[in-house]
Order: sequence, then C-alpha cells, then structure tokens
Amino acid sequence: MIDIKKYEKLSALSLNPEEEEKISKDLEDIIGYFGTLKEVDTENVEPYVYTRGAKLFLRKDVKGKSLGKEALTKNRELFKGSFYRVKKIMGE
Amino acid sequence: MDLLNSSIKELTAHLKSGKVSVKEATEAALTRIEKTEPKIKAFIRLHKDEAIKRAEELDKKKEKRGALFGIPIAIKDNMNLKDTETTAGSKILQGYISPYNATVVEKLKNEGAVIIGKTNMDEFAMGSSTENSAFFNTHNPVNTEYVPGGSSGGSAAAVKSNEVIAALGSDTGGSIREPAAFCGVVGLKPTYGRVSRYGLIAFASSLDQIGPFAKNVEDSAIMLNVITGFDNHDETSVQKNKQDFTHLLGKEIKRKKIGIIKEVSNFDIQEEVEDSLQASIDVLKDMGAEVVEISLPHLKYALPTYYIVAPAEASANLSRFDGVRYGLVEEGKNLKETYEKTRTTGFGTEVKRRILIGTFTLSAGYYDAYYLKASRIRRLIEQDFEKAFEKIDALILPTTARTAFKLGEISNPLEMYMNDIFTIPVSLAGLPAISIPYGNDRKGLPIGMQIVGKWFKEDELLQIASALENGGKNEQL
Repeated sequence: MIDIKKYEKLSALSLNPEEEEKISKDLEDIIGYFGTLKEVDTENVEPYVYTRGAKLFLRKDVKGKSLGKEALTKNRELFKGSFYRVKKIMGE
Repeated sequence: MDLLNSSIKELTAHLKSGKVSVKEATEAALTRIEKTEPKIKAFIRLHKDEAIKRAEELDKKKEKRGALFGIPIAIKDNMNLKDTETTAGSKILQGYISPYNATVVEKLKNEGAVIIGKTNMDEFAMGSSTENSAFFNTHNPVNTEYVPGGSSGGSAAAVKSNEVIAALGSDTGGSIREPAAFCGVVGLKPTYGRVSRYGLIAFASSLDQIGPFAKNVEDSAIMLNVITGFDNHDETSVQKNKQDFTHLLGKEIKRKKIGIIKEVSNFDIQEEVEDSLQASIDVLKDMGAEVVEISLPHLKYALPTYYIVAPAEASANLSRFDGVRYGLVEEGKNLKETYEKTRTTGFGTEVKRRILIGTFTLSAGYYDAYYLKASRIRRLIEQDFEKAFEKIDALILPTTARTAFKLGEISNPLEMYMNDIFTIPVSLAGLPAISIPYGNDRKGLPIGMQIVGKWFKEDELLQIASALENGGKNEQL
C-alpha cells in the first residue's frame, strides 16, 4: 500500500476521504503497471536527459527588454506596491 | 460560398481578389460559431470584439500581407494571449490574465491571423478526451455523442466543424494527433525544439510541443512555416535556418522507404483501423514507395515510461500554482494551508492523480527504480527509432488503435491512457509526426493514420502525408 498521506503532504494537497480512496486505488494500479519496466535491462544505458538537437546556449550579455513589474504582477494586488501578500510564516 | 469550408490557401485567394474582406470572413466565422457552439462547445472563450476590431484594421492594410492574412484561427487555452484570460482548462487559473503573448501567438499575429478565441482542453493538457476540462465537455462534430479526443479536443472540433480555418494545439503524448484522428482533421506535432514553448503553460517540458490543426496537409505546412523558429526565451528551441515546409508538397514519393513496425501487430487494434492501415500501405506502394518492416523492440514499454516521465515533470511544473501570484486563492489559517486549500480546490482529479504519481516516482527511495529507470528506457526507445531511421525515410502506423469513444464511456485512468499507445513512443523520442484522416469505421467515425518523420525532416514528412492524402492524385507525371 502506498502511504498516500505522505505524498499528499509532499504535493501540498489534502484530498477528502472519498478522493483519497479512489486515487490510492488508481495509484496502486498505475504503479503496478510500471512494474513491467523491470524486465528491461538498462545496465550501462545513459538516461535521456537532454532532448536531441537542443543545445544550451548563452544569450549575449546585453540588456534585453523585460515585461516589467507592472505587467507581471497585475494578477494580484500588491502590498506597498512591491510585495505579494501572504499569511505570516514565522512563529509556527 | 461557404467561406469557412475553405482551406487557408482558398480563403487567402478570396481575400486577395477583394471578393471578401477580412471583416466578412471574421463575421462568417463568428456566425458559424454562434450556430454550432451549442452542440460542439469547442471554445472556452470567444474574442468577438477584438477579432472584429482586428479584422477592420487588417482591411485597411494594403501592403505586406502576411502568410495568414485575415485567416480566422483558434488557440488552445494553454497559450498566453496578452491581456486576456488563460486557464489551461483549470479552475486554478480562472481569472488569470496573461501579461504577455506566447511566441506562437506573436508569430500568428505578425502574419496577419485573426484570433477568434481560446479552445477547450483537458485540464493542463492531461487527458485524451477533453472530459478533464474543469468547465464542460466538447463534442465530436462527426457524432456529438462521442468525445473529440484530447487534450486539444476544442481545437480539433473547432476546425472540423468549420468554426475556424485552422487552430493551434499542444502535444505532449498525443494531444494533437489523437484528437485530429478522432475528429477527422490533420494534426501535426513538430520535432521537439522546432517551435518555441515560451508562453505555453508547461505540462511536461521535455515533451510539450505546439503544432497546428488544419483541414489538409498543405495548410499544416503553411501554419508550420509561421510558428517555427529559434526563440531565445525557450532554451530548448533549436537554431535552424528558416525553411519553407511546403517545398516538397506534390513531389513524387517514388523509392521513398516507408517503415511499418513489426510490433504494432501485438496490440489490440480495431479491425477497420487495421484495414485502413493496409489500404494506406497499398496506396504508398502504388505510388512507388518501398515498404519495409522494421522493429522497435521497446515499443511496449513506451506507455509506462511516459506515465513516469510526464507526471514527474508535471509535479514539478505545477508546483507554481499555489495561490500566491495569480489565479485562484483559497485562504487557509497559515501559508501552508493556503497552498493546500488552493491546490486541492483548484486542481481536478486527473491533475491531482498525476501530481501524486510524479511526486511518488521522484521521492527518495523510488527515484532510481522509477524515474531513472524510465529515463534510461526512454533512451532505448529513442535508439530503436534511430536504428530504424537508418533504413527508412518515414514510418506509418495508426494514430490510435481505436476510433473515438462515447462521452463518459471510459472512467478507468489506465484504460484512458491506452488511447495514446501509438503516439507516446514518438513523443518520447521527440520525433515529428502527423495524423491524417484515412477512412471511417462502420459507425462513420474517422480513422487517423500517423506518419512519423526523421528528426527535423518535417518537409519530407509533409511530402509523404500529402501524397497519401491525395491517394496518388498528387503524383507529378
């Protein structure tokens, strides 16, 4: 059995009991299905990390145009015009 | 004249001749949408006023008309369109206003496209039927009791029902090709890196790729011409010279080597789909192509590999949705509780399921057994294709093993995942592929044939697809 509560916590989710039961069962099935991968010999196989053709590049060290703070923060009302407002996190 | 029944090329000719204005074409699209939407429900949002305004501006423009001048186009709702809402089909992004245009949107606009609206999708592109949209279901225009496929089901349905001339979708494991097959339109997934992902809401970053839905192969090539190109906002976008993807269309395919995959017959395939595959092979042979059997020994491991890799990436990508900067917020008594409440309320079941799978396979103690193992098998799958492509120019296989299913018919997640068995291997290898309609089953539902090309050889892929689409009529004599 998967300790669903542990993964909920790591995912910042808290499922209701009904959803928890349903998803736990699905996860058992899906993770069980992954078992077939054990058959494959992957000794000395390089993991696929970088996709083909994509080369990491560096931009020229020149100042580009930015979207600007106003555009990027307009989805929330800011505190003192500069800060996102969150509940206090100290003292917990 | 039914303007919306036209291809890009045909409508361009009408607009060029002056017989039709951009405003008339735009209005025709909006009228059509008004009529069909109650049944199809392809759009999450229409931008009527903006579209009309844009059309009027374009009508005043005399010089330098772009490749998509005046063409009504729809966009999947996971691409940012400046100053409008973008939800990715999720409640968690309701109310989110895009601060900028995705690169593809910018490119469409530069070429004169008229963006009509944003289309419905499975939440965060996770699904194969568009039933995971947080808002409503989209119906297959061929038969409205059936799903349009997914996750780009809205875009496929909008093109099929002639609400727009073309549309953009995104494909992570089949999300363009599968709905294209289910609805009977052409859907193209370019090579990974060909099209910038800047402004596309990320699902699985090593797989996501934007591509077009169109009525024929030529229109797909025209759309691809517009949306490709290096973008320094996307570090995985590839630096390639600009090319014209229509340049091989209509050229004969004599002596082209087309591969068929030995292992495909191990899967349970609907009879009519098999017949359709055989018919398409016969047509290719008639046109002088050489059909060669190749082997992809790791094909059957592609689906479990994908369902480790994609949810792992998704679990990381979706961590940004925490209620702090945009979208939904559900206040808790402290910050942590706010995160949890926001995410628990905002995400649908499939998204939660995949976040949890991803968190599990990346967690201490399981990382090597699942994520790392899958990444190694992904390499083997890529190598299988690499070896096959030494002998062939393209591959052909069905896009899906079965035609569309009814709304509500599949509720088991694993069963739903099986819809993508033939598109996922291609995605894992980052290859370009196209789905073209090729016949119908006994119920009249479309069958899609998938052609897979070599990396960055979309021009040859489109050439073969176009030859097959025209069933030999296209051959140059």
